[in-house]
Amino acid sequence: MISLIGFSGLILSFIFNVIVIVSYYYKINQRFNHIFYLALYCSLFFMCLSFFALMFAYISSDFSNFNVFQNSHSSKPLLYKITGTWGNHEGSMLLWLLIMSLYNVFFSFNITLEDHVRKLTIVFQSFLYLCFSLFVILTSNPFLVNSIDSNEGLGLNPILQDPALAIHPPVLYIGYVGFSLILSLALAGLILNQLDNLWIQVIKRWAMFCWLMLTGGIALGSYWAYYELGWGGWWFWDPVENVSLMPWITGLALVHSLMITKQEQLLKRWVVFLSILCFSLSILGTFLVRSGILTSVHSFAADASRGIFILILFLTITGFSFIIFILKSPHSNKQINLLFINKTSALIINNIVMLIACITILLGTIYPIIIEVLTNKRMSVGAPYYNSTVLPILLPGFLIMSIAPMLSWQSNKLDKIKNYIYILIVTSILTLLITYLTKFNIWGFTGTILGLWIIAASLLSILHNCLKYKFKKFFIYNNALIAHMGVGIMIIGITFSSIFQTKNNFTIQTGEIVNSGQYSLQLKNLKIEEKNNFQELLGIFLLHKKNEFLTTIKSSKRYYYVSKVITTEAGIYHDWFQDFYLVLGNEKNNKWSITIYHNPLVSFIWIGVMIMIFSGMVGIFKR
Amino acid sequence: MNLHLSSNKLVLIIFNLLILLFSTIALSDEAIDDKVKKITSNLRCMTCQNQTIYDSDADFSKNIRQIVRQKLIDNQSEKEIINFLVARYGEYIVFTPQFNRRNIFLWIFPFLIFALSFVFFIFRLKKNPTKQ
Repeated sequence: MISLIGFSGLILSFIFNVIVIVSYYYKINQRFNHIFYLALYCSLFFMCLSFFALMFAYISSDFSNFNVFQNSHSSKPLLYKITGTWGNHEGSMLLWLLIMSLYNVFFSFNITLEDHVRKLTIVFQSFLYLCFSLFVILTSNPFLVNSIDSNEGLGLNPILQDPALAIHPPVLYIGYVGFSLILSLALAGLILNQLDNLWIQVIKRWAMFCWLMLTGGIALGSYWAYYELGWGGWWFWDPVENVSLMPWITGLALVHSLMITKQEQLLKRWVVFLSILCFSLSILGTFLVRSGILTSVHSFAADASRGIFILILFLTITGFSFIIFILKSPHSNKQINLLFINKTSALIINNIVMLIACITILLGTIYPIIIEVLTNKRMSVGAPYYNSTVLPILLPGFLIMSIAPMLSWQSNKLDKIKNYIYILIVTSILTLLITYLTKFNIWGFTGTILGLWIIAASLLSILHNCLKYKFKKFFIYNNALIAHMGVGIMIIGITFSSIFQTKNNFTIQTGEIVNSGQYSLQLKNLKIEEKNNFQELLGIFLLHKKNEFLTTIKSSKRYYYVSKVITTEAGIYHDWFQDFYLVLGNEKNNKWSITIYHNPLVSFIWIGVMIMIFSGMVGIFKR
Repeated sequence: MNLHLSSNKLVLIIFNLLILLFSTIALSDEAIDDKVKKITSNLRCMTCQNQTIYDSDADFSKNIRQIVRQKLIDNQSEKEIINFLVARYGEYIVFTPQFNRRNIFLWIFPFLIFALSFVFFIFRLKKNPTKQ
């Protein structure tokens, strides 16, 4: 019953989007104007109906729905029943449609743009919606009826039963899918030849919002990987991670380019190109992840219908967009004025660098697939490849970031250069001191010095602004600089946590104490707890630093009854400057093996991301 | 005279520094543990999902770590060990793509476009002479 309602909602929403497009083409009659918006709201209404029907099926554990049967279990906590709605392919594609529809309706409230540009954008968004809706209906229907009568489901993958991962997909999707609106806006602007200031003002806000959400989504996923996988790290250059990083980088380039277009009124072609690229990469990522082609070409060949459908979608949407781009893109008669070094050329260099980094990541991700197809041999392109290609390529970008505040917009004269040079020298000496005191490592040195440079230069620039504007609208004048400080803090966090991480293995008995650095750790006791859907082996440890009691750390292993999977729950003691990260291993002769990681400055990464997101939000709301 | 002496001293200091440098290089033979870490961080645990053998706690990884350690004690070079494992498990096991003819594109392409766009940028600068 509930599946029927859900499916009807899906179909009706599809039909109403067709009505949106049709009514646009018969716009001569004024009456159709109302139908246009009415159909748009109806499509959202039925999409919501469809989505909440599925959610209701999950909450009520309605196992007559095949999707619920496959991915849920009645013993699951309520929170994970709700979030289980998007914890699987079909449900997450339904979420994708819902977000697409939401964007369309929220955008229709925008009154800044001229009426015909807004309407054409909505039409393109509806068209994109139709494409993906067709995909869901034909290949990934979440409302299939279960052919066997069952009163229990197969359960959700235990490592997904986690608060961070429960909200990770919606946040990530608000980013990914939001780029569809950016694409629609770009196409509408191109076709109507209306790439004016208003258009830039509007696309800038939406692009910033999508990009921030994508940032938040990736950060959540990476934080989840940090504490849930128990591998001690937070970024693994996994293909799935790479795929999310590609639209993120182009989005970053887009957000920055929109900044120059404000100043220079040029580079519109480039902005449009990036807008198209962002959503194209989102679809390409969806194809790579959902088709199963990343795991192996053979698993793709086993069930190719979905993969081929997304591939066709990708080719159609990207192809169509780029053809329009080639035919309609504005040819500016004014040549762009590239000075040797000013803010504009610095931003352009950064754009190029980011794009090359993105291409490299794409190459590394699809290269094994190409090789497997051609030679039938499997190969890996892993972290070492990206570390030795992407990082050196990004270096000049970071270097420019650190000198950016002293550049000016119009000329290549340097502003108040003396102060900057003093402060760069001071930070360099500071870095040399730090490296002298710790173990020298060329990457560690480079990362630290770049991070400190960026922070110092931004701080100095903020100081100059404060002297000039006297704290008036502090966040409005300085939000870009604050964001860059966030990046600097993040770079330092990344550098320290990845280069100066230490890992030690111990075996420990109840009551025994092991020493690791300044810390000593005692295994107080081990106990087994029975929970609703899992059994937990809980190790309770007492952490001391120089004989001073700090905290109790709980590190555990969970056995999930339904899926018969064991997961590790790392115990983490967060300090501002160091994370003490503890993983409980296996037992042998009454002794437990434990792994202790010291992750220095890992908190800086999350702080940096939060600063970036905060100042991005300020950027959206400022006029 | 005084000058002569100081330049002599300088030579002495440089000489000392060189000796120091060479001795540290000679003595910097990493401990076996560090070598095992270096090698296994580049190997894929075949029974896990995108995890390195160094980080993994799976039986497969423990096994390989043991093999790598044994081979290091037997004085085999890093290259020999990697070649042995690739012959046994296929190229899939190493995370760093090998630098051979087939992978040349993978390694060269990023730096090639980097260099090309840099050249392009310089040329664009020349076309637009600096104006104040």
